[in-house]
Amino acid sequence: MTRELTGPEAAALAEALVPGSVDRTTATACYLKPDRLVETLRALRDDPEANLVHLTNLCGVDYWDHFEVVYHIQSFEKNHIALFKVEAWGRDNPEVPSVTPVFHGAWMQECEAYDLLGIRFTGHPNLYRILLWEGYPGWPLRKDFLSMPGGLQPGLGEFAGVARRQEPPVKVIE
Amino acid sequence: MTGIIKSEPFVINIGPQHPSTHGVFRIKATVDGEKVIDAEMVMGYLHRSMEKLAEERTYTQNIPFTDRTDYLSSMSNNLGYCLAVEKLAGIEVPPRGNAIRVIMAELQRLASHCMAVGAFANDTGAWQTPVMWAFREREKILDIFEVTSGARLTCNYMRIGGVAFDLRPEFEPMVRRILRDFPPFIDEMEGLLSENEIFIARTRGVGVLTPEMAINSSLSGPMLRGSGIAWDIRKADPYCGYEQYDFDIPIGYNGDSYDRFIVRLEEMRQSLKIIQQALDGLPGGPFRTEVPLALRPPKGEAYARIESPRGELGYYLVSDEGPSPYRFHIRPPSFINLSALKEMTVGGTVADAIVVLGSIDIVVGEIDR
Repeated sequence: MTRELTGPEAAALAEALVPGSVDRTTATACYLKPDRLVETLRALRDDPEANLVHLTNLCGVDYWDHFEVVYHIQSFEKNHIALFKVEAWGRDNPEVPSVTPVFHGAWMQECEAYDLLGIRFTGHPNLYRILLWEGYPGWPLRKDFLSMPGGLQPGLGEFAGVARRQEPPVKVIE
Repeated sequence: MTGIIKSEPFVINIGPQHPSTHGVFRIKATVDGEKVIDAEMVMGYLHRSMEKLAEERTYTQNIPFTDRTDYLSSMSNNLGYCLAVEKLAGIEVPPRGNAIRVIMAELQRLASHCMAVGAFANDTGAWQTPVMWAFREREKILDIFEVTSGARLTCNYMRIGGVAFDLRPEFEPMVRRILRDFPPFIDEMEGLLSENEIFIARTRGVGVLTPEMAINSSLSGPMLRGSGIAWDIRKADPYCGYEQYDFDIPIGYNGDSYDRFIVRLEEMRQSLKIIQQALDGLPGGPFRTEVPLALRPPKGEAYARIESPRGELGYYLVSDEGPSPYRFHIRPPSFINLSALKEMTVGGTVADAIVVLGSIDIVVGEIDR
């Protein structure tokens, strides 16, 4: 069985290589500081003990007041998988450093997170809207996409004839 | 005059409507003469925003959506999603349910690899004959799905906690017939293609991926194994009781398109081995745990993955104790396997780009979701 590293275990690995890189931990996840992210993941990839070489999954989650970018990184030799997260605050222009220089496979997944959630990955070589077209109004996977006031804000009115539902704001998750 | 004669770079579109792109997918290739010097992917023609739609529906209602992502392996998609929900809610599946799931997932792998191998032969120029042979065998597997679940393509057979229906009496003889008829077909296919001079000339050394590049590009499945990395989630992180079955992981040595083809053929043999063992030891008892239809898993998150025919298929779910997932993310193997397409095509010819795309075995429904 692949061992799922707990948050403190992943944090211990990261902290040993790059001191001061861990923001906080939960039972399953380790939150990294955005400004140390690239450096930490590069160190974890190159370190033989951690050996986190394969970025399996990268996705963003909208928690209303902030965005989280989730990284599942695994090791083939050690057969373990770690869960790292980075927070991006603010809805207008959330920014997270791109890990494409470390993991080449991140580029498409970061493009997807940018396309659907509007998280800007700084340092990405070619960040573009990979699934939707350039100029598409709004970010579809954001929680407020369907309940924008009047359906007119960020350009949703462009979809003429589509009645927007008036929904109460979705419950905020802590 | 000495030196290399260069011509003006020229952009050609491969696709979106082209048989070799296996769906609506476009490669914007910049060519210098016959040589590809840049390749850009344009996708999203089939985007249905499933991840958003899933946030509006209950956990059970989302199962049919997963059929429609990778429409060539709906059983595997159902399975991956159900495993993620089970992990989130802490639901155990009875042994019979697990064995049925394994048989179905492996039958689906056979059907999907039939399509992959046949269409790949089509792309290399073996026009129509291998693909029709593969379709003939695939039909028999789809017949089994029809008998069991009522549908051939979008089966919607797995449920949270088990499978939808128990097996019918016709099921076992039909699978036994597959076990009898399939090995000769694989040998036939291998005899037809693997030593064919034209096929080798088209695929050997085309789209070479080094192991380092394959890992760094997050590839999975036959792409990774074709480059010589023995990583199979069925072995490394067994689910549904795969640890009880005896099978091998085929790997390639050169990481080219030919190796990926051979890996797929050999995986079909291994799948037959697994089906044989699972069918012989099929336990009795219940096939499903009773789960409330409006399931409300506890607050938290779960990432479950399976080895789908195309690679690692993962589902990342976040629950806020509501009746529908707060976040529903699919890790689509064929989308992420395209990460290295540019590196594999640049430097080759346009005809090689078609072969490389065929060897990745993309399903556009899964890329765009």
